[in-house]
Amino acid sequence: MTATIETEPGTPRARSSGTGRTSWWQRHPQRIGLGSLILSGVLLIAVGTGLLDGPLAIAALFVVLVAIVALIMVAVMGGLETRRALAPYGLLNPGMLWLALFYLAPLFTLLRNSLSTLPSRFAIDAKFDWNFGNYADAFTDFQDQFIRAFLYAGIATVLTIAIGYPLAYVIAFRGGKYRNFLIGLVIIPFFTSYLIRTIAWQSMLADQGAVTSFLRTIHVTGFLDTIGIMDGDKLLNTPAAVIGGLTYNFLPFMILPIYVSLEKIDVHLVEAAKDLYSTSVSAFRKIVFPLSLPGVFAGTLLTFIPASGDFVNQLYLGNPNTTMIGNSIQDQFLVQNNVPLASAMSFVLMAIITVFVLIYSRFFGTDDLV
Amino acid sequence: MTTPNPRVPNPFLGASSLSRRQLIKRAGVLGAAGLSLPAFLAACGGSSDDDASSGTSATGSSPGTAAASGSSPGGGGGDSLYFENWPAYIDPTEDGLTGTVDRFVAATGIDMKYTEAYNDNNEYFAKIQPVLGNGDTIDPDIIAPTSWLTGRLIQLGWLDKLPLDLIPNAANLRPDLVKPTWDPTGEYSLPWQTGFGGIAYNLDVTGRELTSADDLFDPEFKGKIGMLLEMRDTMGIIMLSLGIDISTLTDFATAEPAFAKLEQAKNDGQIRRFTGNDYMNDLSTGNFAACVGWSGDVVQLARDNPAVKFIIPEQGGTAWADAMVLPKGAVNRDAAAKWMDFVYDPVQAAQITAWVQYISPVAGVQEEVAKLDPDLAENPLLFPDEETIARTHIFANLSEEVEAEYDAAFSAITGA
Repeated sequence: MTATIETEPGTPRARSSGTGRTSWWQRHPQRIGLGSLILSGVLLIAVGTGLLDGPLAIAALFVVLVAIVALIMVAVMGGLETRRALAPYGLLNPGMLWLALFYLAPLFTLLRNSLSTLPSRFAIDAKFDWNFGNYADAFTDFQDQFIRAFLYAGIATVLTIAIGYPLAYVIAFRGGKYRNFLIGLVIIPFFTSYLIRTIAWQSMLADQGAVTSFLRTIHVTGFLDTIGIMDGDKLLNTPAAVIGGLTYNFLPFMILPIYVSLEKIDVHLVEAAKDLYSTSVSAFRKIVFPLSLPGVFAGTLLTFIPASGDFVNQLYLGNPNTTMIGNSIQDQFLVQNNVPLASAMSFVLMAIITVFVLIYSRFFGTDDLV
Repeated sequence: MTTPNPRVPNPFLGASSLSRRQLIKRAGVLGAAGLSLPAFLAACGGSSDDDASSGTSATGSSPGTAAASGSSPGGGGGDSLYFENWPAYIDPTEDGLTGTVDRFVAATGIDMKYTEAYNDNNEYFAKIQPVLGNGDTIDPDIIAPTSWLTGRLIQLGWLDKLPLDLIPNAANLRPDLVKPTWDPTGEYSLPWQTGFGGIAYNLDVTGRELTSADDLFDPEFKGKIGMLLEMRDTMGIIMLSLGIDISTLTDFATAEPAFAKLEQAKNDGQIRRFTGNDYMNDLSTGNFAACVGWSGDVVQLARDNPAVKFIIPEQGGTAWADAMVLPKGAVNRDAAAKWMDFVYDPVQAAQITAWVQYISPVAGVQEEVAKLDPDLAENPLLFPDEETIARTHIFANLSEEVEAEYDAAFSAITGA
């Protein structure tokens, strides 16, 4: 609000009032807009987290309705200038209120749960009592799972870049008129559900399945066992299977952003480089690759963040020694019913990922994401 | 202005040339279709009995469980029934034989829905806890938790009493199962089946017969051993192999050596996976060389794959019972009573036993099974003799605090 420019009273803004006098809400429409937005947001969060319930909640929702209606009325009754000033707030309202009720309210509930204690083992509601012990437990008891989650997700991200970048490059630069078709082929596996794709890998990597039998026939199992990919003669229920599943499931998330940023590169730049006696490799290294970095950055975020919280791949392709933090959180939420501990673990995971992403973006230093 | 002619494109509308009249007409048609669609879908839906097991055990919702519902779609109570049971726990309709569910439907005309989405006790309890804890009702009218979970549900007050006056055949209950420790008044549960926990193995993979629980820790089978997520069966067998008596357990310290042994085995990579009832697939395909399993499951598997075998380990195995209960607020009490009466008839119970090959809770079944299959009537796993009974032990009742310690230690090794 301090950054908005306000004109002095007396300027002809309230055209539709007719009398030439301007009232307070016509002179400072931004305050109405911002005030309405903040008030509705805060009240929706309060209703969503259960701070207000029963008749208070109904009163709060009524106030939210009044705030929105007031905003609309000010826009209608004010003049063109008022509407122009209020346009950003009007456009923000639906999205922000949706976020407030369905994202911020659950987040605050989770935060409150993480500082609570369960009164008895099978109680439904936890009592809020500033119990930071949950965070201590989350850090100490699940260190292995945190480390494994970030390790597997990191390796999977690197592998998706290694596989996805050349593929995106070929489609973007050599695709020609088949570009859209090839990108369609990349997306088609997404038509089946995530779960089905992972279970399909389970039967593919089974001990008597196609892949493992083939590896056994060409006698590479001993070599693969030494470098740690296979475990004895098993390919299923190994860390490699989990990482493979993660790589396969998140590959399109890496290919698409890289493809988008590669496609926008003007081919003439490469030609210009070659005119200046550059080799193809040098042209790639100095022109194409730096211009595609925003896509790699976006793809890394889209791959690493969901992969570190993933639990499906470990469930079907892993063994008890490869559990990731996602499995632990799911176990605490859905099997142990220990909601306070699970909420604390979720926040610890979010915090660590946020730190990683901040360090990563500072290191990459990219201004635009695409 | 002249009336706009829909066939002449309006220059201000651009290429679409959709007039207001057309837009409102099309919107009206879409709205009418949208409003009537749910009615059509509901009419087409009708009744469907699907006994497909979910298979997505730990990842969340499976069909028809734990939904907070105030009233069942059957309406009025007594015309429909919903029994959610463990997989492979009832005889199906195949090979010219009519399954129990179909025979029941034919005999009583009750519309019965039977699903097999009950994979593990803890997992199912976690699903129903938020619903029953809030005082709402779950969809199924009958579920069959294992005895210890039945005891916990009774203590939490989340079960309705059975209408025993409507179940005259309840008198056929085996005398040793009347008023058991987990249901002292006998008013809340009627056992569905009882059985043994032991070692199941695939002869093709192991290459030799197994005899004791120590075979599960044999380095030769590293990475090919499965264990149950059911704490009492897995830890029970391990404790018996260490000489600990599981029927007299009172504290956690006695069981610590067994937990340490399991944790060591897990860290060494001996155990491939901890499973619910879904160990059967891995066992028959050969992913598991051996696993802790339940007697009837393995006998059923052995029909299709004779290499799969079951033994009670020489140091001892576990004995358990699954009990039919009515969750609180179950709507179709009369239909549920009719079902329990039906399956407690020795003739019907014999047909179930002949297929699932667990130990029937109904007295007088042995003679009926002898009429169907004389060899089966002599099988000690179905009709245990003194020697088998001496080798199996029932896990002791633990207090809530001690049980919490056991569960925490077990889940630290398995689930987390």
